[in-house]
Amino acid sequence: MNEFANLVRGTLHILILRTLQDGPQHGYGIAARVAAASRGDLGIEDGALYQALHRMEERGWVESEWGHAETGKRARYYRLTRAGRQRLRSELATWTRYVRAVDRVLEPGG
Amino acid sequence: MTERRRIESEVDEEIRFHIEMRVRELERAGWPFAQARAEALRRFGSVVETRAVCSASDLRKERRMRMRGMVAGTVQDVMTALRALRQQPGHTAAMVLALALGVGSATAIFSVADGVLLRPLPYADVARVMTIWETDARTGGGLRTVAPANFLDWQERQRTFEAIGLAEPFGFDLTGDGPPESLRAWAVSSGFFDALGVRPVTGRAFAAAEYASGAARVVLLSYGFWQTRLGGDPGIVGTTLDLDGAATTVIGVMPALDHPEPRDLWAPKWFRDYERFDREDGHDIVVGRLRAGSTAQAAQSELAGIARTIAAENPAANSGVSMVPLETHLLGSVRPALLVLLAATGLLLLIACVDVAGLLLVRYGDRRRDLAVRAAIGAPRGRLLGQLLAESLLLALLGGAAGILIAALGVRAMLQVAPDGLPRMDAIALDGRPLVFSLAVTLLTALLFGVGPALRFARTEASAALAGGRTMTGSRRTLRVRSLLVIAQIALALVLLVGAGLLARSFARLLDNDPGFAVTDRATLQLFIADRAPTPAARMSRIRAWHDHLLDHPGVTAVAEVSALPFHPTQIDVVGPVAIEGRTADPDARASAQSSIASPGYFALMDIALRQGRDFTQADDADAARVAILSASLARRLFPAEDPIGRSVVVGVMGRPQAREIVGVVEDIRAIALDSEPRLELYIPYAQSSATSVTFVARTQGSAAALMPSLRERIWDVDPGQTIHHAATVESLIGSTLALRRFNLLLLAAFSLAAAALAAIGVHGLITFAARARTPEFGVRLALGATRATITLIVLRQATVLALTGILVGIAAAAALSRFMNAMLYETTPTDPGTYIVLALLMLVAALAAAAVPAVQAACTHPARALTR
Repeated sequence: MNEFANLVRGTLHILILRTLQDGPQHGYGIAARVAAASRGDLGIEDGALYQALHRMEERGWVESEWGHAETGKRARYYRLTRAGRQRLRSELATWTRYVRAVDRVLEPGG
Repeated sequence: MTERRRIESEVDEEIRFHIEMRVRELERAGWPFAQARAEALRRFGSVVETRAVCSASDLRKERRMRMRGMVAGTVQDVMTALRALRQQPGHTAAMVLALALGVGSATAIFSVADGVLLRPLPYADVARVMTIWETDARTGGGLRTVAPANFLDWQERQRTFEAIGLAEPFGFDLTGDGPPESLRAWAVSSGFFDALGVRPVTGRAFAAAEYASGAARVVLLSYGFWQTRLGGDPGIVGTTLDLDGAATTVIGVMPALDHPEPRDLWAPKWFRDYERFDREDGHDIVVGRLRAGSTAQAAQSELAGIARTIAAENPAANSGVSMVPLETHLLGSVRPALLVLLAATGLLLLIACVDVAGLLLVRYGDRRRDLAVRAAIGAPRGRLLGQLLAESLLLALLGGAAGILIAALGVRAMLQVAPDGLPRMDAIALDGRPLVFSLAVTLLTALLFGVGPALRFARTEASAALAGGRTMTGSRRTLRVRSLLVIAQIALALVLLVGAGLLARSFARLLDNDPGFAVTDRATLQLFIADRAPTPAARMSRIRAWHDHLLDHPGVTAVAEVSALPFHPTQIDVVGPVAIEGRTADPDARASAQSSIASPGYFALMDIALRQGRDFTQADDADAARVAILSASLARRLFPAEDPIGRSVVVGVMGRPQAREIVGVVEDIRAIALDSEPRLELYIPYAQSSATSVTFVARTQGSAAALMPSLRERIWDVDPGQTIHHAATVESLIGSTLALRRFNLLLLAAFSLAAAALAAIGVHGLITFAARARTPEFGVRLALGATRATITLIVLRQATVLALTGILVGIAAAAALSRFMNAMLYETTPTDPGTYIVLALLMLVAALAAAAVPAVQAACTHPARALTR
């Protein structure tokens, strides 16, 4: 179902950080946002998403807090930390350079 | 619930929420529940793996954060503690001072004990090394140095020793580049080094042939001589020294030894023929090494048997023999003294801890509300405790650092004033082991004084303070216990002060003693002149030449000669019989007197008053009638009712008995030390003696010590090859006889002052504490019209009662204990009332001064604030 699965795994962090830039969100919300924004093209495996979230929290890029979802259920909300914002900036820059480089290589006659 | 379980259940809840949301989304899109759930789980991937990874990650994060919190907490504790210590600098200073005194004295004494007692002695298997002495066969007592013939007999006949050897004090004149110099040496027989179990640190020991007479001239250096004079030159072995005018090869360096007492050189001893019969002239040190398996008792009884045989063979000899293990000989008298000192410092340290614990309780009392509020707003009890302990540890470290400083200064001072002859002083150093000791002691004190008050406070105070706001740390009972401790401290300090006071008074009495001669502005130079002037006539002319040249010195106003100067360490004991001529058989007409040789003018120069008759003159020369001058007490002894002038005495020292006419009587002098009684003295003129040594005494204008170098030059002006055996001012000669007393006095004074300071700090802590506890009461009194002076007096009265009780106990204890120091006192009774009164007053003043601060603080109580507190 997902032709990008391997590519996505390497860029999971940047996707999560970018999503959280718009505000605190729980894990399901992050998965839904990524799916919506990519029009379903980037289906992330949910378990991997949570593993990444917890690792990022351990590294101090995000922090979590229990809150209540729209349904009234208890949910764990993630929020960017200052370190996370910096990380996002540097990963975005790297990503952009990477994409441009790949583009130039792949451009016919480039 | 464990931490892991909590984290796992949170992760479970998170995953469950996700699955539910996904199922709900799929159901909205029209999936039936069962398929929706299956699809949600499929999209999630491995739940088990995710759960494990997430839980592990969360656990790590939480642990790290907790650790960070603890570090931050500790840093915060230390910062808070520092702030707290800075807030009350007086209080902090008192605590640091108490700890510094405690740790400092303990460290100083420990480093001494470590050097003297704990470091191994430099002798191999020292338990088998025995020092062997002659005793008086009739009384059996008194260890004496050994005469050579006795040693040779012991050596030949004994079987219990593996090695036995002798060392004889000996001297060399060192000549070379500089002015000639007199060196002190031990001439050792074969077996001496083997008996001690010592080997050269570099080079070799003497070979067997080198102990034979006429062998090649070789010496070993002492360690001290090698280090201080030759800078420890590693290439010294094989070089030569000019000793007594002959090139002598240095074959090695011996290690530093305390027995026999350190000298400059070691030379091989060879026995001259007459020494094989000499049983009278005992100057020698003898040591033996027991054979493995033989005991000290066996050796002692064997030696005693040999001594009896010798006595039977030589009716004139009357020596017994006694053995003392080397270890006992070196340390026997020092060990108990040091252990007592160690115990005393331990006590001082404990007192310091009690003081600091008392002051901490005051401090915690002051911060009660602050601490209670912190407890109430959620600081866990552990944190409060941690903060209080951080404060204690910080205090202990500050005190310990100051203590090491005190110890360093103390050890340096102790080594400086220590009299010569205390064993192993060179092994004392404030290094590795003493420093570790002092760190351990510091940490121990932190535990001792810190944990009690902190625990007590954390347990009872924090909650009570907030609830009632007016509790008091410690019950009435603990207050009583603390009062008793402070009383004991005062008593102990007073006992030590009285001890030091009695020593000080003895010292003052001693200094008041008139030695019977002038002390200041007198320089002395002792020369041995037999080698360079073999005949009496030649010696007299040399003495005259030096005399005139010294007198020529612009700083010198008079010069005289004497054979041996009073207080001189190398004073030659020439005690011999004196009898009235014609009555030599009458015991009433005989006496044993010290003979000295004096030049004309000696008595005047030394301010020794002439009582009767005349001084010697230049006319009393070798060709004139033999004359003598008696000291007053000798004159009294021999001629109780008659005029001695013009009578004759027979003097039986230095050669055949000679009749001499008494021409004068001079005042008595204290010749050995200020605390010795005047001896019977007999003086004969230089020109009528065959003296081989001479001591010039010069009266100087201004400081004699400053003139000393130029006076030495004057000796060498006349004869550049002459060795100056000893040069000193009369003042320093007297000073050196007082060294042991001065040392004891300073040591005890330092101790007693430390104890007194600790007692004052103890009073300060207790009175402050008691006064704070009564603040509400003082508030009421002030509100009811009491004056501030009244409040001050109330507090001071409490301190006075405390101090007086301690002082009374101290006086009683001192009176009971001080008789044990009778032997150290001089013309001072152990219950000397003046000393007791002055020191009791001093202690009272110190206690009141220590109570003054809290007394004034109490008087400044604000009535309204005290009542609402």
